[in-house]
Amino acid sequence: MVGAADWAGVAQQVVAGLSSGGTYATLAVALVLIYRATGVVNFAQGELAMFSTFVAWTLTQHGFSYWPAFALTVAASFGGGIALERVVIRPVERASVLTVAIVTIGVFFVVNGAAFWIWSPQVKSMPNAFSTRPIRIAGVAFSISDLGIIGVSLLAVLLLWFFFRFTKLGLAMRAAALNPESSRLTGIRVSWMIALGWGLATALGAVAGLMAAPPLGSFDQNFMQPILLYAFAGAVLGGIDSALGAVVGSLALGVFLNLLGTYVSWVGTDLRQAAALAVILGVLLVRPAGLFGQALVRRV
Amino acid sequence: MSRVVRIAAGLVAAAAAVALVLVLPHWLSDARAAEFARAGCFFIAILGLNLLTGYTGQISLGHGALMAVGAYTTAILTANHGFRDLWTIPLAGLVAMGAGFLLGLPARRLSGLYLALATFAFAVAMPALLKRFSGLTGGSQGINLFDKALTRSTGALGPVHVLGRTVATNDFLYYLTWGTGLVLAAAAWVLVRGRVGRAFRAVRDSEVAAASSGINTGFYKMLAFGISGFYAGVGGSLFVLVSNWFVSPTTFAFDKSLLLVVGAVVGGLGSLAGMALGALFIQFVPSWAGNVSNAPGAPSVFFGAAIVLVMILLPSGLGGVLRKLTEPLTTRL
Amino acid sequence: MRAMGKRSVLFGVVGALVAVSAASAGGSATPGVTAKQILIGGTTPLSGPASAYAAVAKGADAYFKYANDHGGVFGRSIKYKYVDDAYDPSQTIQKVRDLVQNDKVFAIYNTLGTEQNLAVRSYLNQLKVPQLLVASGASTWGSDYKKYPWTIGYQPSYKGEATLYGRYIAKAKPRARIGVLYQNDDYGKELVAGLQRGLGKKAKLIVSKQGYDVTDTDVKSQIARLKSKRANTLMVFATPKFAIQSYSSARVLGWHPLVFVNVVASASNTMTIASLASSKRQTEGSISLAFLKDPINPRWTNDKAVKLFRTILKKYNGGEGLTDYYNIYGMSSAFTLVDALKHAGKSPTRAGIMRAVTHLNEQNNPFVLPGIVVRTTSTDHFPIAQARLQRYHNGHWVYFGPLVRVG
Repeated sequence: MVGAADWAGVAQQVVAGLSSGGTYATLAVALVLIYRATGVVNFAQGELAMFSTFVAWTLTQHGFSYWPAFALTVAASFGGGIALERVVIRPVERASVLTVAIVTIGVFFVVNGAAFWIWSPQVKSMPNAFSTRPIRIAGVAFSISDLGIIGVSLLAVLLLWFFFRFTKLGLAMRAAALNPESSRLTGIRVSWMIALGWGLATALGAVAGLMAAPPLGSFDQNFMQPILLYAFAGAVLGGIDSALGAVVGSLALGVFLNLLGTYVSWVGTDLRQAAALAVILGVLLVRPAGLFGQALVRRV
Repeated sequence: MSRVVRIAAGLVAAAAAVALVLVLPHWLSDARAAEFARAGCFFIAILGLNLLTGYTGQISLGHGALMAVGAYTTAILTANHGFRDLWTIPLAGLVAMGAGFLLGLPARRLSGLYLALATFAFAVAMPALLKRFSGLTGGSQGINLFDKALTRSTGALGPVHVLGRTVATNDFLYYLTWGTGLVLAAAAWVLVRGRVGRAFRAVRDSEVAAASSGINTGFYKMLAFGISGFYAGVGGSLFVLVSNWFVSPTTFAFDKSLLLVVGAVVGGLGSLAGMALGALFIQFVPSWAGNVSNAPGAPSVFFGAAIVLVMILLPSGLGGVLRKLTEPLTTRL
Repeated sequence: MRAMGKRSVLFGVVGALVAVSAASAGGSATPGVTAKQILIGGTTPLSGPASAYAAVAKGADAYFKYANDHGGVFGRSIKYKYVDDAYDPSQTIQKVRDLVQNDKVFAIYNTLGTEQNLAVRSYLNQLKVPQLLVASGASTWGSDYKKYPWTIGYQPSYKGEATLYGRYIAKAKPRARIGVLYQNDDYGKELVAGLQRGLGKKAKLIVSKQGYDVTDTDVKSQIARLKSKRANTLMVFATPKFAIQSYSSARVLGWHPLVFVNVVASASNTMTIASLASSKRQTEGSISLAFLKDPINPRWTNDKAVKLFRTILKKYNGGEGLTDYYNIYGMSSAFTLVDALKHAGKSPTRAGIMRAVTHLNEQNNPFVLPGIVVRTTSTDHFPIAQARLQRYHNGHWVYFGPLVRVG
């Protein structure tokens, strides 16, 4: 299928895939966070990230440069995520997982619509966080920005690991997610731990949006939707309860999409989404808990 | 005794539902009847989703794609193979049932989120597949029966004559969808009260327990997907008629699948009457939202807020309220 | 059920004919027209993936309000009811049916999207309701008028546009190696077909065609593929978002092809962002086509029509969309409709407006490029069929060459 002379082409496709996958990875980690805290997939995760990106964009329009705007937005998103949990998720805390999921779909519509309402539907552009000057190594071109994005998602995983492993708050959050009843008995405020999880995930979503938007060149109110789709697929591929799995799954997905689309002519670019999802399905049938997931523990 | 009362109450409710469906068009304008007919298609698809999610606890984010299978079956058979549109409706159901069985295959091994992704993949892939096999499906231009098979499209050109009466097209479509919906609802009612329904619920409540009491869980999971697919297929088939005999890939983008799940949960899984309310919700609330304000994005805000509010105020859905309202009635009886 | 055989269809046909002739018998009973008002309707995406195009309807609406404050059409004001279809064809059907049957609009106007208009075309033609100035560049609106006499488009067809690029390359760059990036749907494919038609015998200059899906996140893979085929000319047949990405992805690869970018994706504000996202060098020399006055092209800063455009938006659209190309598209389309309504006479009928829009000879539309005549005849149903090539230089589009016919 692949001509020998085309190895540089293949390498280029792999690099392009890693760079796309990097933009899914951070959002995938955010999905994992909320899943671990509440057992729910947050359908609004991408839209919240989009909203944060627009907030940061507004800041850059008012004279802030990229990194200060980044810091402010991530902090604001943390607060926003907690507030959102208190207002709309907490009332359905005891309802079924499906009910909570539908609430997040409702939030999806509200946030998407609000962003259209507040900011006009024209495409916007965001200054780059990292240099996009091309670098060539052995005929393969990439930029600092590609490395930076993957680096940021790995850094996020590392920080989260540290937080959940070594800090008292992190340990309390894990306990609350694993066993709410006995955590309550030991004095952990379980409900607030969930809110904190939402705050963290929304802040991480803001990071994802702010990493994804600049290299795309432009962004609009819908730019996170396909990214959410791939982040979801990447997270499930990696095993929905593993943050590292989510990153690896997302990167693998990015590479895989490109190679399928480019070199399997029957698939082409039009069916590559379908083919990639079918392959993920195949992987799941062999490993039902994903690549890095722990064997399924049923939530009762 | 209470069993008799309950069945009697059920029959009264069913009779009331039939009566309501029969008389409603008298108060509806023509275009409003068309909107109700569209809601009827959603009702049928959501009935299927309810059997699957409400009774076996399996999540499907792919029912919009199953509707697409039914819709294209009707469109292709009518456009290219000389069928009259109405006769293709059961066939569409059967083809979608086959697709449902296939979709149920991974369900034997996957559950929860992993199953959700598998079905979601089907929904995402559907428009691309429809465009790819354009020889069969007409590609992104879709199939327009109004052009290709006008004489085989019942009511496309004017009123329909049924049993010696003349019925306006949209009223006819209304009766067709809701009539089919009521029949299928009755079938679902019978199904969930029989042996199959018991097996479904056993699978939902505890797979391990179900398996240890001799229930072939894999089979029943697939069966639920198949039956559910039949409902979605019939809904999709009718959707073509209701959409002016036109179908195209964008109609079945993955948001339709999400919308159906929203309808089922807002309606209240496990409640048949709730499914009708859920269907009306996803049909009428977005258009209501569109009329509130025409600023870009405003319709989404209102629609989303309506979803969130219903779920917060009525976590068990609209059907749950219905049950609470009628409960004192049945106990008094 | 059996009874509904051919006979009932026949009854149906007769019934419909009777109904239609009854409606058109009384001259004063034209739907949607009263002594004070002409009601027209259409759908547009106010929500969902294509909301950016809502500006087309808003621009048109603002112009109608302006026209109404300046006397309307023979004393009647124009009311344009545009409703949201979320870019979903099945909703378009519903909303259009609602507009025709409940609101009793005079005509459907400016409905946006190819699939969306295809979904209602047969229906409207059956009822003989005009489907005016369809907001889509598919060529079927202009070329299939014999089968659908109640439908007419507005803008130059995508196919005709790409034909011009093809002809230009065949003549000016006979040794080009062409790589094509196209949106994988009818829109993109029609542009590709036009390019091949324009290249004619030189169609083998195309070394690779790469499609993308609207649900893709980026086009890095496709651009890398085109580069690896050693293309030196890049055709971008895309929407603004993906056009911008084409530039930025090419830059990361260190690739500097000559870029042709289609009208939909080449508005000045899009190009400005593309330059920011890549580099000045990357966008320099790009070629595109133009038929409207781009509101932020400095060439038109002091143009009377563009000043009017801004005044109208400030007064009737809350000052929004001053830089938006879609708004000026909407205004231009609205201008043409007002013009046609005037020609349809003091007591407009549906047949009358169809006659007027198929016999346009509008030399004074201020929003199109100077020299362009919005013209139709009984055998030419493409209202705007002229345009100019333009080249991106120093951050602005500069026209070159004469007005050319797009067809």
